[in-house]
Amino acid sequence: MIGNAPFFVVGVLFLMGLLGIFMTKNLIKIAIAVSILGSSVNIFLVALGYRTGGTIPVHFLAGEGSTMVMPTPQAMTLTAIVIALATTALLLSLIMLVWRHYGTIDVDEIRRLRG
Amino acid sequence: MWGKVYTGFGYWDASAWILFFFIAAFFTLWLRSQGRSDYKKGTDQDEIYWSGNEVPEDGEDITVPASSAYWGFRKALEPFYKGLLGMHTGIATDIVGYYVIAVAFLAVFILLV
Amino acid sequence: MNWNEHLPALILIIPLFGAFIAPVCSLGGKTARNILLVAISFLTLIVAFMLWRHVLANGISYYVMGGDKFNLSLPSGMALPVRIILEVDAFSAFMALCGAIVSFAGALFSVNYMNRFTGMGRFVSLYCLLTAGMIGMMVTGDIFNFFIFIEISSIASFGLIAFWRDKPTAIEASFKYALISQVGSMFILIAAGALYGRYNMLNMAAIGSVLKMGSMEKLVLVFLVGSLAMKCGTFPMHMWLPDAYAEAPTGVTCLLVAVSQASLYGLMRVCFSIYGATMGSSFIPWMLIVFGLASMFFGVSMAVVQHEIKRLMGYHSVSQVGYMLLGLGVGLLVLDDARAMADYGFTAIKGGVFHIFNYTMYKALLFLTAGAIYYATGKKDLNEMGGLARRMPYTTFMFVIAAAAISGLPPFNGFVSKLLIYESSFAVHPFLAVVALVTSVLTLASFVKVFQTAFLGPEKSSLAKVQEVPAAMLIGMVVLTAAILGASLFPSWTLSTLVEPAARALVDQSGYIGAILGGGM
Repeated sequence: MIGNAPFFVVGVLFLMGLLGIFMTKNLIKIAIAVSILGSSVNIFLVALGYRTGGTIPVHFLAGEGSTMVMPTPQAMTLTAIVIALATTALLLSLIMLVWRHYGTIDVDEIRRLRG
Repeated sequence: MWGKVYTGFGYWDASAWILFFFIAAFFTLWLRSQGRSDYKKGTDQDEIYWSGNEVPEDGEDITVPASSAYWGFRKALEPFYKGLLGMHTGIATDIVGYYVIAVAFLAVFILLV
Repeated sequence: MNWNEHLPALILIIPLFGAFIAPVCSLGGKTARNILLVAISFLTLIVAFMLWRHVLANGISYYVMGGDKFNLSLPSGMALPVRIILEVDAFSAFMALCGAIVSFAGALFSVNYMNRFTGMGRFVSLYCLLTAGMIGMMVTGDIFNFFIFIEISSIASFGLIAFWRDKPTAIEASFKYALISQVGSMFILIAAGALYGRYNMLNMAAIGSVLKMGSMEKLVLVFLVGSLAMKCGTFPMHMWLPDAYAEAPTGVTCLLVAVSQASLYGLMRVCFSIYGATMGSSFIPWMLIVFGLASMFFGVSMAVVQHEIKRLMGYHSVSQVGYMLLGLGVGLLVLDDARAMADYGFTAIKGGVFHIFNYTMYKALLFLTAGAIYYATGKKDLNEMGGLARRMPYTTFMFVIAAAAISGLPPFNGFVSKLLIYESSFAVHPFLAVVALVTSVLTLASFVKVFQTAFLGPEKSSLAKVQEVPAAMLIGMVVLTAAILGASLFPSWTLSTLVEPAARALVDQSGYIGAILGGGM
């Protein structure tokens, strides 16, 4: 049961991120919610990487264990973090430009394109 | 290369259509060539006929703008368009909301059926 | 060394190289940069064409990245493929060819179109990056790599949509797209992670070979289908699409059309190659059909009332994607019923695949004509246009061809693919074909409106100085017009050489899996 704890955390964080997008009107807070969403997925990937009885996939000075775990989830997480960094930076710079053009970061007022 | 495309219930043949196009073009051009070229220029004969109304000098006055095109269609379907345009609020979180609702709908129903 | 086998890697390397060399190249001035843009996209087109020829002649080709040998999918006797594998079957090669044609046309068009603006080094860089992301989505055989490429293309397109960053609406459109696509990619990533957690692999073919339907797999399927359907603009999730298409610079809009097709490719890859016959229930096929019908009808009815030219065309994209979803959904519905498949299912898939080609060509051409109008007149609103046919005869001619093709007027290619879809979806239920026909009529109606208000009618005094657009833009449009006319005049040749191998590869799940796992299912 306790082994599933990371997945509960992932679920709670994911829902928090998803709800956060809808609960707030502030664009910066929406960007934070999107980051939380990304972090929850990263925790999910890292949690997947743990296998009972496995050891780190390093040949030297890595202890006794001989069953190594494939480092794919870690590689995936690193990639996902880099991508999340890029998109967060882009989102924030877009919000900055929105502020400059619209004079507001209330999501309900940024709707010149509609219909 | 010029073969037929079979759809299972019928077929489509581009070359037959092109043949038809040339036949129709021939008749159209033939009919046009029957017109008279000896009309009197500069008289009433080369005036534009506009349902008996006076033709305005500037054509811009009588153009129908694109927003007014299909006015009747839009008027007849007003409740439908009211709902549809009401859906397109243009608010970023609404857009995400529709997406999340659609995924949630799919997720719930695929587990039920 | 037979370098034909390196084509799957080359098609990715060339645009990526272009993306990173562009800032250096733009130090050499305008001409060097423009030559780079056109040369890179032309090379991509050549490689895509050769890859397509190679795949048709020699079957599925794959490429192992980071392995000892590029053609060894199962190194050192392992039962599972662990490396990053690019897998190109006839369907991927077909999609890559479509994408590369559009990318080339868009690049030619952008050379003149973007001439008046600064920051073009960044534009060329992002354009090449977007091409690389799009092609990558089409050639990858790995679900996590698919996520990477979808993110590369998303990030490049956020930048390109907001390229005119002094326009408030461009920023707004880019922000909306960024937000929804970021949430969507997280769903894709969680699906990829769940598949890894269950089967310990990420290769699509290998997952497809061991997949068994359970609750987890169902949720994964829903996440992937929902997110990818959002990315290609299906009805209730389409609101970002007209905004983004209307506000992006036109060369980019043209490429975005191909990028949305890459998402559709991913959707089909998931449905046919990973899940395929193991999907079990007919829920997802029916949902694809329902989404398709909704996109078709509501998309086009929104388009009829628009008066901004690119926004109108953006809503048409929504409705055209519906046709493909309908055709491919009908095919998916009868996937494990051999008799219905032979009767109408395969025709529906052929129609869907042919419609992908047609849609990519004529929609890209329509956006380019809209961009040409904007370039010549500086106006986007149809209310302010009129009588352009006298001033811009070539653009008008190509617009008429594209508009006739999208409305499904015979003898154009749009008619052929729509005919295949009508007649096969009719066999499932007549209602499907009726909705498709009504949509086609409304499509024609809205393009008659565009044609009448923009090109016909008396000349506006404000447009007296309008001239035809420069040659490079016209050539960009001519490339697409030639593709449309070719597919229109030789439909049976196009169907048998271009479409049928792709459709066959799409339904051949065991072939896709066998190429990686060495025939052992």
